[in-house]
Amino acid sequence: MKVAIFTPIPPERSGIADYSSLLLPALRDRCDVVVVGRGAKKPPRGTGLSVYHIGNNPEAHGWIVEALRRTPGLVVLHDFVLHHLVAGLTIGRRDGHGYLDAMEREGGVVGRLLGHAVLDKRIPPLWENRPQHFHLAGEVLGLATGLIVHSHHVHDRARAAGYEGPIWIVPHPAFPVPAGPAVHVAGEPLFGTFGNVNASKRVPQLLAAFARVRLENAATGLLLVGATSPGFDLERRLQRLGLDGAGLVREGFVDEQRLWGLMKACDVHVSLRSPTMGETSGTAIRALALGKPLVVSDVGWFAELPADVALKVPVDDDEVETLTAALGLLASRPDVRAAMGAAALDLARRDHDLEHVADLYVAAFELAAGGGAVSDAVLREVSRAAAEVGIDPGSDEASIVATCLGEVELGG
Amino acid sequence: MRIAVCRPQVPFAYGGAEIFTDTLVAELRSRDHEAEIVSVPFKWYPGTRVLTQAFTWRLLDLTESDGRPIDMVVATKFPSYVVRHPEKRVWLVHQFRQAYELDRTDLGQFGESPEDRALRRKVQDLDRISLGEASRLFATSGNVAGRLERSTGLVAEVLPHPAQALAYHDEGHGAFILSVNRLDRAKRVDLLIEAAALEPSLEVVVVGEGPDRDRLERLARDGGAAGRIRFTGRVDADELARLYATCFASYYAPVDEDFGLGPYESFLSGKPVVTATDAGGPLDVVHDGSTGRVVAPEAAAVASAAVWLRDHPDDAIAYGRAGKAIAASVTWDNAIGRLLS
Repeated sequence: MKVAIFTPIPPERSGIADYSSLLLPALRDRCDVVVVGRGAKKPPRGTGLSVYHIGNNPEAHGWIVEALRRTPGLVVLHDFVLHHLVAGLTIGRRDGHGYLDAMEREGGVVGRLLGHAVLDKRIPPLWENRPQHFHLAGEVLGLATGLIVHSHHVHDRARAAGYEGPIWIVPHPAFPVPAGPAVHVAGEPLFGTFGNVNASKRVPQLLAAFARVRLENAATGLLLVGATSPGFDLERRLQRLGLDGAGLVREGFVDEQRLWGLMKACDVHVSLRSPTMGETSGTAIRALALGKPLVVSDVGWFAELPADVALKVPVDDDEVETLTAALGLLASRPDVRAAMGAAALDLARRDHDLEHVADLYVAAFELAAGGGAVSDAVLREVSRAAAEVGIDPGSDEASIVATCLGEVELGG
Repeated sequence: MRIAVCRPQVPFAYGGAEIFTDTLVAELRSRDHEAEIVSVPFKWYPGTRVLTQAFTWRLLDLTESDGRPIDMVVATKFPSYVVRHPEKRVWLVHQFRQAYELDRTDLGQFGESPEDRALRRKVQDLDRISLGEASRLFATSGNVAGRLERSTGLVAEVLPHPAQALAYHDEGHGAFILSVNRLDRAKRVDLLIEAAALEPSLEVVVVGEGPDRDRLERLARDGGAAGRIRFTGRVDADELARLYATCFASYYAPVDEDFGLGPYESFLSGKPVVTATDAGGPLDVVHDGSTGRVVAPEAAAVASAAVWLRDHPDDAIAYGRAGKAIAASVTWDNAIGRLLS
């Protein structure tokens, strides 16, 4: 069976392009895979299954949604919240009505009214400050014949949104750790956080907690790596917290090689997030592969990490206090750090092993391509047998049969 | 305790799984349990019949019988473990191997169409769900447990079952090597025949019947070893015990065997075993240089191992004794104690 995969791939710079370049060789070892070139509108002739990698970035994924509209297929949903993608596909192409329709599909009349307010610039763009309240995944879900997701969180959100098709949860594969030394960065221990520096990465809370931890342990360091998002005044925050002098090391956007070197330097990785768009964190996956203990927000995919791998910080009024306690514990207990790091490495090797992930992908491909026909055939045979002995479709007996089919997932 | 032992039945076929479950019921009854075989015919073709036949088990209500509760079900092989029961124990003999390691081999069932590929996955999903429901999950060998964990992620406790009751005894280091197995290609008796052809001093007794017998006898004749290889066909229990007692070792090297009772029978007679590195279940108890010889699945390697055991009686006797200690610990008392605990 030929599988056509619509995905961004390097040299495009995106997490999903990196993801696909990691996964594709392992998939090619297992099945006939064709990567569809950017801009293609249809799968190549002879394709048995079309697979669409969808994320929230309209530049990277707009063309993939257009292809999905022409040929429905299996969707790999990397983010659940697609508001930014939909805004790019509608408002970004001067299609205000399309945006209003998407908002109404999800939020009813209130959604449409809010959409009008956005178009009239009476309120800030919803995809910038409230995307979690309007995921706008409805169109993609409606076109998907099946979903591959990376977390139970996205699985549950898709079901809550009314998606009834098959869903396969396939973990994000772990990146192979490249050779090379750790960059030397001061801090004993050294905490590190990677990615855009902004409020949704909980950087204000992290800085506040770190400042408190440093009062107890002056040797502690914090490495902050990533571009500062527009409007986020990092320098002023650092000054106010007294972190502009020592203890904090700042790096902007770095290339892959330096990223790994800096990640290796850290004793603890901090990966906070709220609101979550349903994404899986590529940097957190890297941290697992490095065998580093994690501190994460207790939301979305992050909340599904095992407790022996990650300390989870609820996003609530006590967030800074809880975070301070978590950092303080890990700062003072190298034995805990070591145990969590070992558990992280085990998890990466067990659940995020590339070959294992590729096996799960191929299982999903095979079920997506032929599972419907198999389910139909089973139901046809069972219903025929039931009818032959006088069991009416609406009877209690038929209900029992249906329940049993559902229990073993043979119910279609 | 009232216990239903569940097994599928392929009409007109009776083999190792049937002997195992019949014996289990007898052993349970001898320990004052009420035990009964529950069997449903199984036909795994064509197409989705493998699923609909398996689903039949799901419709059974084995929670009680004649107004009295059934306390436990013990399911054994696919698809009997699809049955639903609040106290479902599984003592796994094997899964539906065509959906796993036999896929895309001569012994496979599923083709390359999208429907066939998906059907195979559905069988795997059915295993994952129905085996995952078990309150305790046992496998007859490390090989079966390993396959299960690789295919479903489920972890089973290894629980071998005892060999059949025979008058096991040891009459010393004999002159021949013994093969006791059904004569079909997967049992790989031909390797032993070819080994005898390569090694003119090797004497062999082959016990068993099966569709491969004519080919094996021809192989013996063509290899010039007919005079040193005796095919006995089926033998009775006393004769089987005598053959084990008078050989110097036994040969047991099927391809990726689920469990394999042969080594246990050989050990109980104090005789070491020659097996192959890819034999599967036997490797749980046949260890090279300890309870026998484990060699590459090649005739020359089998010949060399057999001759070595014949020519080193002290070592062969020591290996047989070590094996006997292992086999003697596999008792119905132990097995049933763990199964019901």
